[in-house]
Amino acid sequence: MKIMLLKSFLLVGAIMCFGLAKAQTVSGNVSDDNGPLLGASVVVKGTANGTTADFDGNFTIQAGSGDTLVFSYVGYTAQEVAVGNQTTINVVMVANNELDEVIVTGYGGQKEKEITSAVVSVGEEEFNQGQVNDPSQLLQGKVAGLQIYNKGGNPNAGAQIRLRGLSTVGANASPLVVIDGVIGASLSNVDPNDIANISVLKDASAAAIYGSRGSSGVILVTTKSGVAGETKISYNVQYSSAERLNTIDVMSADEFRAAGGRDLGATTSWLDEVTRTAATKIHNVSMSGGNGSTSYRVSANYRDVEGILVNNGFTQMNARLNFSTRTLNDKLKIEFSSSFTDRNQQNGFSEALRYATLYNPTAPVLAENAPYAFNGDQFGGYFETLGLFDSFNPVSIANQNINDGKKVEYNYSANFTYSLTDDIDVHFNAANQLSKYGNRLYYRGTSLWNGGAASPSRKGSATLYNDEYTFRLYEAYATWNKSFGNSNLVLTGGYSYQKQNFNSHSVTVGDFPTGDFDYINAIELGQDLLNQGFVGANSDMAPDNEIEAYFLRANLTIGDNLFVNASVRREGSTKFGEGNKYGTFPAIGLGTDLNKYLNLEGVNQLKARLSYGVTGNVPAGNGLSQEVRGFGWAGGGTSGGNTFLVRAANPDLKWEEKSEINFGLDFNTDRLSASLDIYEQTSSDFILDRQVDATVYGFDRRFENAGQVTSKGVELAVNYDLVKGDGVNYNTGIVWSRNQTILDDYVSEQERFANLGAPGQNDTYAIRVKVGEEIGQIYAPVWDGTVTNGSQNFVDVNGDGVINTNQANMLNDDADFAVVGRGTPDFELGWTNQITFGEWSINAFFRGAFGHSLVNTFRVFYEPRVGSQKSYNYINTELANPEITNAQFSSLYVEKADFFKLDNLTVARNLNLNSSLIDRATLSLNVQNAFVLTKYTGSDPEPSLSDNGNVLAPGMDRRNNFYSARTFTVGLNINF
Amino acid sequence: MKTFNKILLGIGLVSLTYSCTDLEEDLVGDLTTDFTVDGVTNQSFSGSAFTVSDGLTSAFGALRGTGTAGHGGYFSVQSVSSDEMAVTQKGGDWYDGGIWLDIHRHTQTAANGPIKDTWNGGYNAIAQVNNSIENGNLDANLTAQAKVLRAYLHWRLLDLYGRIRYVDENGASAQLSRSAGFARIEGEILSALGVASVSAAMDLSGSALTKGDVKYRINQFAALGILAKLYLNAEVYTGTARWQEAHDAADYIISNGSYRLSDSSVSVPNPSKRPAVSSDAESLTGYAAVFSPANYDNPEIIWSVEYDEATAGGMNFHQMSLHYASQFTYLFQDQPWNGYSALEEFYNSYEDGDARKDANFIIGAQTDFGGSVVVDLASDTQDPAITYSASINELEPNAGRTDGARLGKFSFKNFARPDLDNDYPIVRLGDVYLMRAEAKARVAGDWSMAAADVNTVRARAGVSALGSITADSFLAERGREMFMESSRRSDLIRFGKWNSTWWEKTNSDAYRIVMPIPADAIQNSNGALTQNQGY
Repeated sequence: MKIMLLKSFLLVGAIMCFGLAKAQTVSGNVSDDNGPLLGASVVVKGTANGTTADFDGNFTIQAGSGDTLVFSYVGYTAQEVAVGNQTTINVVMVANNELDEVIVTGYGGQKEKEITSAVVSVGEEEFNQGQVNDPSQLLQGKVAGLQIYNKGGNPNAGAQIRLRGLSTVGANASPLVVIDGVIGASLSNVDPNDIANISVLKDASAAAIYGSRGSSGVILVTTKSGVAGETKISYNVQYSSAERLNTIDVMSADEFRAAGGRDLGATTSWLDEVTRTAATKIHNVSMSGGNGSTSYRVSANYRDVEGILVNNGFTQMNARLNFSTRTLNDKLKIEFSSSFTDRNQQNGFSEALRYATLYNPTAPVLAENAPYAFNGDQFGGYFETLGLFDSFNPVSIANQNINDGKKVEYNYSANFTYSLTDDIDVHFNAANQLSKYGNRLYYRGTSLWNGGAASPSRKGSATLYNDEYTFRLYEAYATWNKSFGNSNLVLTGGYSYQKQNFNSHSVTVGDFPTGDFDYINAIELGQDLLNQGFVGANSDMAPDNEIEAYFLRANLTIGDNLFVNASVRREGSTKFGEGNKYGTFPAIGLGTDLNKYLNLEGVNQLKARLSYGVTGNVPAGNGLSQEVRGFGWAGGGTSGGNTFLVRAANPDLKWEEKSEINFGLDFNTDRLSASLDIYEQTSSDFILDRQVDATVYGFDRRFENAGQVTSKGVELAVNYDLVKGDGVNYNTGIVWSRNQTILDDYVSEQERFANLGAPGQNDTYAIRVKVGEEIGQIYAPVWDGTVTNGSQNFVDVNGDGVINTNQANMLNDDADFAVVGRGTPDFELGWTNQITFGEWSINAFFRGAFGHSLVNTFRVFYEPRVGSQKSYNYINTELANPEITNAQFSSLYVEKADFFKLDNLTVARNLNLNSSLIDRATLSLNVQNAFVLTKYTGSDPEPSLSDNGNVLAPGMDRRNNFYSARTFTVGLNINF
Repeated sequence: MKTFNKILLGIGLVSLTYSCTDLEEDLVGDLTTDFTVDGVTNQSFSGSAFTVSDGLTSAFGALRGTGTAGHGGYFSVQSVSSDEMAVTQKGGDWYDGGIWLDIHRHTQTAANGPIKDTWNGGYNAIAQVNNSIENGNLDANLTAQAKVLRAYLHWRLLDLYGRIRYVDENGASAQLSRSAGFARIEGEILSALGVASVSAAMDLSGSALTKGDVKYRINQFAALGILAKLYLNAEVYTGTARWQEAHDAADYIISNGSYRLSDSSVSVPNPSKRPAVSSDAESLTGYAAVFSPANYDNPEIIWSVEYDEATAGGMNFHQMSLHYASQFTYLFQDQPWNGYSALEEFYNSYEDGDARKDANFIIGAQTDFGGSVVVDLASDTQDPAITYSASINELEPNAGRTDGARLGKFSFKNFARPDLDNDYPIVRLGDVYLMRAEAKARVAGDWSMAAADVNTVRARAGVSALGSITADSFLAERGREMFMESSRRSDLIRFGKWNSTWWEKTNSDAYRIVMPIPADAIQNSNGALTQNQGY
């Protein structure tokens, strides 16, 4: 890491040491209507010679009489002035019209006013503040219709991301990420501090240019780049402190004793034992600049993040270079970008949180405090309640075992743009990405949990795992830009080739000798190697996953106010059988500013948009259309073995398609801007691994095109300047979205999901889907509020006089089950408040989701006062009913999880240092998760969008979810 | 430039403060301290004396994938639905949506998970056999074996579900009446035996099957054993009794095979002998030896399913039945699940001194590997010491955690892995004797005709001969001998006892002599399957 950083500095040094030309001195002032423009760039055209305007807008530069000065400033239209004989040049810059701002839309950009689909652009200044380790967190709550949830906030777990509800079932439901034009790039290889802007392509018409991979929406990330001129250095440092926010209520040791729990003599707060106040340090340094037609930006980012769970967190080093230059008389533009991430993560064991919740609160941590004779040496010195089901000392889990990962990611991309004529540009992009992940999982021989400490024969287990993902992208396309009178046509056409590969291998060895030694680094000592059949080994390489595509797009502007955008992409994938490899994905959009006809007073824009598009989705998995076999040894393995079928073939498997229609309105006045989008999308032929008739296909599973979902929704974004000017500004904005997904067609009329599991709740399903109805129904017997002999009494839902709550009958007409909640929210809300006065700024961001429910699984298992429970802790929420002594899943354990929270509060002050060295310094204080208003009794009321990967089963709050934290951050930003 | 470099250096130093390490070399991948290691103490019993190598390894291996001797498939459905055993709900454990309570009480539905898994498992195994026939380059003998194996797998489905589809290498038949299914199975086995029918005078010299004794493969005697089971239940399946053929098939095995009952001359080491516990027997003899981890070459076994702890997993009776804390009695690698236990009435049907009572059950006070008590801290009683009792307080919801005798027939070895080594017999001589006895009595209409063979089996168990025999006492004897061998459900049906009441099982719906065809299977069949009457 040190070496990386030093290399970065050397590189910056080398770039900075370009020659400085000598010429006459020109000075002047750069300003706008309101006064001087601090930091405006002044460059001698075609050279590396440049400077920036100072605090008063003044500049001085050496330039020859034949030179031209280029004045530029972000948000303003650049101006060029020939020097001639002038020694003083004063320039008044004109702000860009916001509607002329270019939004990145894929294969280039478009002016905002020309866009006809649902595209939202979020700039750096709107990003979430504080400790943000994952770029997706920057956007949480900021874009209507974009759901980003990382339940509990494990720093090593990615967020679940959904755009506009559910658009697929069998394939990837997360949006496609495109970073600086590189399709499918890794979001984890970008440090949040390096991101300048994120565009979200919400509807199929916008995403169709990305064809097969655009069905779940597209997130376009633009990283920061340098501006030619004076070199700028920026340094950020952040210190955070996080602590446990919400957990689920359990009994204290005294309450537990009083409730008849088995007293083991001690008083232990298990959650305190396995959680901590987590300290995080983040440093970012960047340098940017360049001269003439060359610019660069390099950055280095260092993160040392602790989770609130002990032995959980990561350290990460990331470096990025963006470089751009023009040559061949400015006809050829070369952009190069590269980034490198090296991350060491302590995954830790989230199970420690689960067992800390449930472990007997009177049990001691250490064996030496055991209430009876106990051989602590066998268990690493920790106490264990032996002979119970699913009961493990959480401190032993967290401290004795190792679960460490190392991730290395590297990518580069090079873009070449050549201006063939004034009208035609030719582009060529090449990108390469390499991601490696290695994991060392070690269960110590003295750990009861997974370590085999109770068994004398096989203690300890070590698993070494490595995987590697490679991605290559080659694209070539051309744009033709032609004006006809006051109309304009831009044609873009090209070819894209993508190739991905994933391979992995792992080896598991156990049965280690005694001695306090981390055998994960010496698996050759495993006595498994002496025993038959114990060593686990696996290696796997996916087939190359290739995609090739041809695309054509036309952006037509007729008479300055009618905008027509159309595109078509034809795409083929290796994943499908012969004859079904290719799919065609068209899109069209129309837009016009109605205000040009209505001329409403004070209104700048009233644009109506209507668009339609089709996108596809490449399924996860490989060889889906083909027969797949496993292999089994004969007993003893001495005489060979045979293969056996594990999946039947389906040569007719075809592309899953999504079509979407979107209507939008954009309204702008000087102070108010609002956007409304209404859409309906239909995903058909989605690909599912489903049970089929074994008597026909030879095996009972294969992949089929098996269903259809329709999603409808409304999204509203409103922004208003409540106070503007006089040194005080107050801007407030709301994004609001509602989405409803209906299952139109499925492999069966109804299906049940989300088996609750052991102990005692196998074959108990909490979620139902039914054709013709909304997805995510939590389906359960309805408790009538009374208890008889320890068992809940249920409502006769269908009124047939018989109460039938048998789980196996759940889907039958005679069953007394009802939809007792929905896993998906009715609507979601984000509310931004940005106040600036003088050198101060305050940003308060509230976020909420309403109408969803969660199955509180902790309560289902451990709240009933069952006999066997008395050696575990009782879950003891305000909803607990001590009369219930028989565990049965019902409406009692399904809770409304509406919440409203102060998600992010930042107070920042600009420090006026008046230093010649430091341009600007800002000190900020931030709180994340400041407070949460909810009635939910579990630890985190955020919606759960899928259950163990099953997107048809939202609403499950499982026992292994992480606990949420409140984080305080102090940050200092210095710009030199 | 100089200024910049200074600033850079400063920033660099600040940034690096948190990443500096000392430069010590830590040899984490090498041993740097001395310690001594005890030898490998746990050498497993070898489950297999030898293995066979042919094109049918995975075909016969498929039997393991159908829950033949594990949780959740054929064994569970066949056994928990009978009066042998139950999976009681122990408070928060083992409710599981009521699936096991339903199966035991005969209130199961077409959506029941284990009933579905047993159906799918059966047909997946059949597909595997067909796959071997299509791809295996099998000779006549192996082809004949594969076809008998396929017929046997179909027989299980026929017995459980009644109206099945017969799937061979040419595809699936329509759903067959139970009589037509019976005829397909019978025809396939007879064809492998090279005869048109089973009779006392039959000549098997034309059979593609051999007389060779390879336990994991099918020879003529194994095929006849399956036929005997089929004929014994023919009246249930078709309405027409075939007692004579059942008798002749069983009699042929006894008269012509080289098999003998595992008597006092057959002894293997007791796999659960604890060095510190002197009351543990040194060896298992006679009946108990038939089901031990070292049972591969037991002289009584005609055809068995191979299980191996390392490479042929799927038998886990120790996990299914024992209390969590019994892990410390045997020092098992994994914790057991505290699920299955024998019904009190069934346990009490054994008289004291019956060698089968000791062999089949684990009961009484439990001690750990060193002989000290093992405890259940979640016990309902004040004394947490674990004592398995014959009685069970209730089926649900709060059955005692230590109530009920545990399933010990397939004896557990100390230090066992999650899978066991014991082979599971499909056809064995003790069963054949009882089949011959029953068929003889049924042909004659006189249960005393069964006495000779019944008393042969009883003598081996060390209990006195029965003076008189009735249908009920015969059924009880068969129950004692065949516990845990997936036979009880068919026996109860054949003896007309299936719809009787026992313990908490009171339902007597006549249609429940067959299981429901799984709802998913009907749904996926596009109309090819229809539900059994009543469900």
